[in-house]
Amino acid sequence: MDWFVINLLNGISYGMVLFLIASGMSIVLGAMGITNLAHGAFYMVGAYAGWTVAVKWGAGFGLGLLAGGLCAGLVGLTIERGLLRYLYKKPNEQVLLTFGFVYILANLCLWIWGGWPRMPFTANFLTGSMEILGRAYPKARMAVIVVGLVLAIGLWWLQEKTRMGAIVRAGMDDKETTMGLGINLERAFALVFFVSAFIAGSAGVIGAQLLGVHNALGMDILLLALIVIIVGGVGSIQGALLGGVLIGVIDVFGKAIFPQLAMFTMYLTMIVVIIVRPAGLLGRKI
Amino acid sequence: MEALRIKALSKQFGGVDAVNDVSFTVNVGERLAIIGPNGAGKTTLFNLINGQLAPTAGRIHFFGQDVTSLPPHRRAHLGQARAFQVISLLQKLTVLQNTLLTINGTEPHRFDMFRPVKKFENVLQKAADTLKGLDLWEKQDEPVINLSYGEQRRLEIGLGLSMDPKLFLLDEPSAGLTKEESAEIIDIIKNLRTNITVLIVDHDMDMVFEVAERILVLHYGQLIADGDPDQIQADQKVREIYMGVEDAVDYAETA
Amino acid sequence: METTKQDRGQDRWISRGAPYILGTLVLLVTPLFLDTYGQGLMTRFLIFALFAMSFNIVFGYAGLMSLGHAAFFGAGGYTVALLKLHYDVNLFWISAPLGIVVATLVAAIFGIIALRASGIYFLLVTFALGQMLYSLAWNVKWLNSKGMQGITGITLPDLGIPGFTLNTIWFYYLALIFFLLSCVLLYRLVISPFGLALVGIREGEPRMEAVGYNTWYLKYASFVVSGAFAGLAGVLFAYYNFFVSPNHLGIATSFLPMVMTIMGGGGTFFGPVVGAAVFIFVENFASILSPQRWPLVLGALFVLTIMFAREGIGVYLWRLWTRWGPNYGSVKN
Repeated sequence: MDWFVINLLNGISYGMVLFLIASGMSIVLGAMGITNLAHGAFYMVGAYAGWTVAVKWGAGFGLGLLAGGLCAGLVGLTIERGLLRYLYKKPNEQVLLTFGFVYILANLCLWIWGGWPRMPFTANFLTGSMEILGRAYPKARMAVIVVGLVLAIGLWWLQEKTRMGAIVRAGMDDKETTMGLGINLERAFALVFFVSAFIAGSAGVIGAQLLGVHNALGMDILLLALIVIIVGGVGSIQGALLGGVLIGVIDVFGKAIFPQLAMFTMYLTMIVVIIVRPAGLLGRKI
Repeated sequence: MEALRIKALSKQFGGVDAVNDVSFTVNVGERLAIIGPNGAGKTTLFNLINGQLAPTAGRIHFFGQDVTSLPPHRRAHLGQARAFQVISLLQKLTVLQNTLLTINGTEPHRFDMFRPVKKFENVLQKAADTLKGLDLWEKQDEPVINLSYGEQRRLEIGLGLSMDPKLFLLDEPSAGLTKEESAEIIDIIKNLRTNITVLIVDHDMDMVFEVAERILVLHYGQLIADGDPDQIQADQKVREIYMGVEDAVDYAETA
Repeated sequence: METTKQDRGQDRWISRGAPYILGTLVLLVTPLFLDTYGQGLMTRFLIFALFAMSFNIVFGYAGLMSLGHAAFFGAGGYTVALLKLHYDVNLFWISAPLGIVVATLVAAIFGIIALRASGIYFLLVTFALGQMLYSLAWNVKWLNSKGMQGITGITLPDLGIPGFTLNTIWFYYLALIFFLLSCVLLYRLVISPFGLALVGIREGEPRMEAVGYNTWYLKYASFVVSGAFAGLAGVLFAYYNFFVSPNHLGIATSFLPMVMTIMGGGGTFFGPVVGAAVFIFVENFASILSPQRWPLVLGALFVLTIMFAREGIGVYLWRLWTRWGPNYGSVKN
């Protein structure tokens, strides 16, 4: 029973990180119709920046988190305003462009921070463990679950209940009419993209304890995000959450029971979902 | 012989009944028009008949065969052709390419990977005949996007006919056309062979009353009237929908 | 202005055929003037040009963006490598056909899964499937030489001709034969009813369905055929590279034909070839000048291509030829 609970919690906390990773990409894909393959690279930039602030400069986890998010957000914003906005309805071009940035950002990180991976890190006040059902469980991981849930609720509220969410959804459906209503769509899109990148960067800092900090993250994280999106469905927070947690739990239990299978449980789940529900479990029409 | 039998056909989107329990039969060679206000479900009905949408309930029989779950390409082979409301021609491709593609669609060699398209003499001949008949032979190498709207419409209808269909679905053929162009279309429809069954959706009442032998009226997805042009014109419910409240009030006063 | 039909026919042949004849001559003759390094580089070009052309069938013609094409490329290469590693088979006439068969099988299976998805999902799924193979190659011991990632020890193949062993330049000509053969086959595919139908699907799938085409089948077939040619490229690659690694199955390699195709002009027949040439050229010089910064250059190349050469360099070159080259009347693209 203990084994089950511990693994379940591990699965959920990993799943929360996956959710954080995938949510930003899913929102941008669903609301703006943009395929941003550099999303994993934003995560990586955030992780590195967060490490620098939190560990290297010793400014603490909170500031590191903020720094990670901001850094990634700014990088994302620059790319969106400078280049991506000209490619709004051109998925092929978006793919090529954003993928180019995976290479560019990975190499820049290599240049700036060097090739050695950074040690996983987390907040000081979260070191040590707490008691769950009479067993010790790392506080830091528990915090991840909490943060993930809070963010999920916050994003869902943004998506469904605010004017901004409605604007973006309307803009996706009919750009001209929305703009004709006097709504500054360009600004809305820029904001959404910034938020998406910010979340990715923050996820990089939060997830550092689980996934580390190194410059192959750009690609690795992208792959994880894609799997979660395929399973959970595009364009909704609920989808990203369900996909993330499901994959997280399946992966952790899979590795616990069949260690030699590595990522296969994830791939297998993905394939089953594609065959049975091609739009993802909670997929919305794009 | 029944060309088309629609039984209790329904299509729901979310909570909306786009098509609601519609039933009717069409005989071979009939010229049937389907009219109704915007949003009445006319194009949805066409999408159900042609296979782009699957119904939530009901059945569709085409020449005696239940085609309800068949995909559009199979229905094309069974003898359906369609001219779409928004021109479906491949804009960036040339007139000739569009023609060849349409002709090949029902040919067994359409999957041939080894022989050049130009080697199929019968296809080239048919393409030439079709285009010359449509007066578009000179423009065979023009990308369709360069053609005028009227020419594109003419081409789309002409290509639909080149499929030798048993049932021809025309979705708003006069939309966006000038008076002269509409007159051309009316002529084409009137000159269709009598063994082709024609279903037309349109808002141009002149065209509808000139071409149709029978008219169906849809409103909010339901079939509210079915009769010949005179009956439809006299039908009170139809008048209410089309003429608006004002007339209905007048009518009530005079009644 | 009167020109006889014969004149016009000949003119068309010269003005349209000339670049291709010239190109073939260049390919035939140049290696004779290069050292083994140069010859190897040209072999690499042929391999990737073939890979890119195979990708273009699915991408440029059918309009499907597949990000997992290296799965087929790598499958071909790994077949050759595994036959050598575990069964000491080095005969070209066994390994190569098997490599193509395996690649085609992978494409057949992946196609069924991937085509359940449409639009952007298709892209995501092909990406993930490719990475799945990468993961397999990384983790399964049988797919690796002892104690390392990937399979080494591949040599130039045995052609079964007594007293004749391949060397760099002869392997180049072997690759060239298969390249030219593939060009011919793919060209015939592209101008066939099937090829035209693929273009139709790209331009308007709903209309194609309504007119009688089973579009799923057409997309699937294009995927499988494409996989076969990608597998052939992979087979040649294994022999050229003497080494295959999981990277050759993953996204890093899947991306290359896409970049090359877009750079050279997607949807045109020789665009991918031009793109491959440009890419290999740039790669070679950039990695010599600065091996560490090569990925940066590569990324910048992607970005620049998209922002400034969206229709492809190949198309620009073709336009230059038709505008400034010998003028023999109207040349239709």
